[in-house]
Amino acid sequence: MRKSKYNDIKNIFIDSIDNDNFVELPLTTFNYQTLEDSLNKPLKMILLFGRPGTGKSMILNRLYHNLKNIREIHYFDAPILSEKEFLKSIYESISSEKIPNNMRVNFDGLLKYVQNLKGRREITFLLDECQLYSEALMEKIRLLSDTRVVKFVITLHKTENEDIIAKEHFKTRIWEIVELRNASIEDLEIYIQKKLIQKGFVEVANMFTPKHINFIHHFTKGNFRETNKFLYTLFNIYEYYDINTPEKLLGTKLSKKILEMTAIKIGYIND
Amino acid sequence: MINVKELEKRWIKYKTKSFMIIAFMVTIIGSLIYGGYYILYKLDFSNKKEHKKAVMSAVRVVDEKNISILTPPSSTPLPPTPTKEPKKDIIQLAPTIPIVDFDNKEIKIKKKEIKHIVQHKKRLVKRVKKYKPKKPKLKKDIKPKIEVHKEEKIEHKIKKINFKITTNNYMNIMKQKFNKNKNPRDALLIAKAYYRAGNYKESEIWALKANNLDKNSEESWLLFAKSKNALGKKREALKILIAYYNKTKSPDAKLLIEKISSKSI
Repeated sequence: MRKSKYNDIKNIFIDSIDNDNFVELPLTTFNYQTLEDSLNKPLKMILLFGRPGTGKSMILNRLYHNLKNIREIHYFDAPILSEKEFLKSIYESISSEKIPNNMRVNFDGLLKYVQNLKGRREITFLLDECQLYSEALMEKIRLLSDTRVVKFVITLHKTENEDIIAKEHFKTRIWEIVELRNASIEDLEIYIQKKLIQKGFVEVANMFTPKHINFIHHFTKGNFRETNKFLYTLFNIYEYYDINTPEKLLGTKLSKKILEMTAIKIGYIND
Repeated sequence: MINVKELEKRWIKYKTKSFMIIAFMVTIIGSLIYGGYYILYKLDFSNKKEHKKAVMSAVRVVDEKNISILTPPSSTPLPPTPTKEPKKDIIQLAPTIPIVDFDNKEIKIKKKEIKHIVQHKKRLVKRVKKYKPKKPKLKKDIKPKIEVHKEEKIEHKIKKINFKITTNNYMNIMKQKFNKNKNPRDALLIAKAYYRAGNYKESEIWALKANNLDKNSEESWLLFAKSKNALGKKREALKILIAYYNKTKSPDAKLLIEKISSKSI
């Protein structure tokens, strides 16, 4: 079986937070800049806040890769739910020492160790998916940030109910909040075009008309994760036709039928 | 790889469903448009009803003002069926018969007969007038000729009698018909016939009868007022017409008011 170009195209839209896949949009650039500026302020905690799929992890990842050579920064991309493991990871990151599995980090000891670094070091921790951390662990994070040696950038999912709760929980501790939102139609168009052009698929990028972008935005609401899922499925179907019945893909624009089939496949349209 | 064939079936199902929805929506919109049109038509109808109501209230206003259209005037007892038709009026009444034209075909036929008789009568009169004896004749001879002339005249009178009978029959038929059905239109026709015949007292009575049965009949209002005016009750006639005009804004009523005011009627 011959390989279709659409196989490569669909893989562009696999949901990943790789720095290579980061697409600079007016909206994300602004948010990124705000976040980077906040790190230079004497703040204890910074909250990156937004609905799932708005690009929180992507920004956090980009921030880590851009600053890892400039400042002391550590990125916990997956939540560490065990308190023991979390404190161990923090200590290992700061001290660069490997702690044996049969030993554990005492929080008071860690606090004193961090306080001793005051004035000498400034360490930044990027914590993703913080909504999964326990209340007790969040309290320990706050105490560590109070030393002003360790700074935390935390991301929180914003859901219908968590919206106010999250803000209430951190309102006395967070000094800077950066809220991420879904992309507008214009942002979404730039996002799709840039994604394809970055990988050299200019002719495929030209297949998208404003009508198609509107169609995709209507269902995905500008959510990047949903858009990636939509485009992955779309090019998956294209791949099938390209291999089995290529005569059906003669047009220079995207097929409305395939767009609708994608929406049916994902469940946006009930057949 | 994705099962595209299954997906295509689902897509066809979705398109069919979409088409059905669009067809349904078009039907609904079409029905709404038609419904709107129908309602508008209905509204026009209701306007007519309102017009009717206005006439009814006009009647009420007239009633409040004690205008005699609703109550029989003291001078005209209600409703005495005339026992005798004035004989002199019979021939004069003949032209009023065409009023009945639209009522039934039988009367149409009668009308033709009457016309034929009148024409025959005219022809006879002309012949009599034109008659000139060619030779001088003795008194004895002349007499029989004069008799012939008389005979012709007698024949002419006979025609008149026949004519009378026909008209009487018509009025009687109309009255019988009215007594049977109490149709305001019949009463109005009788009133018209009397009015044209110059019997304004009777036309007033019959117009009142027609109006009592159908308050919305403009003709009955106008004819009643005209009869009043003809009987010399100009002020009363104007009062009725003005009250009627104020409520209905009838152009005919206005015209009649102007005519009565300017004494052109």
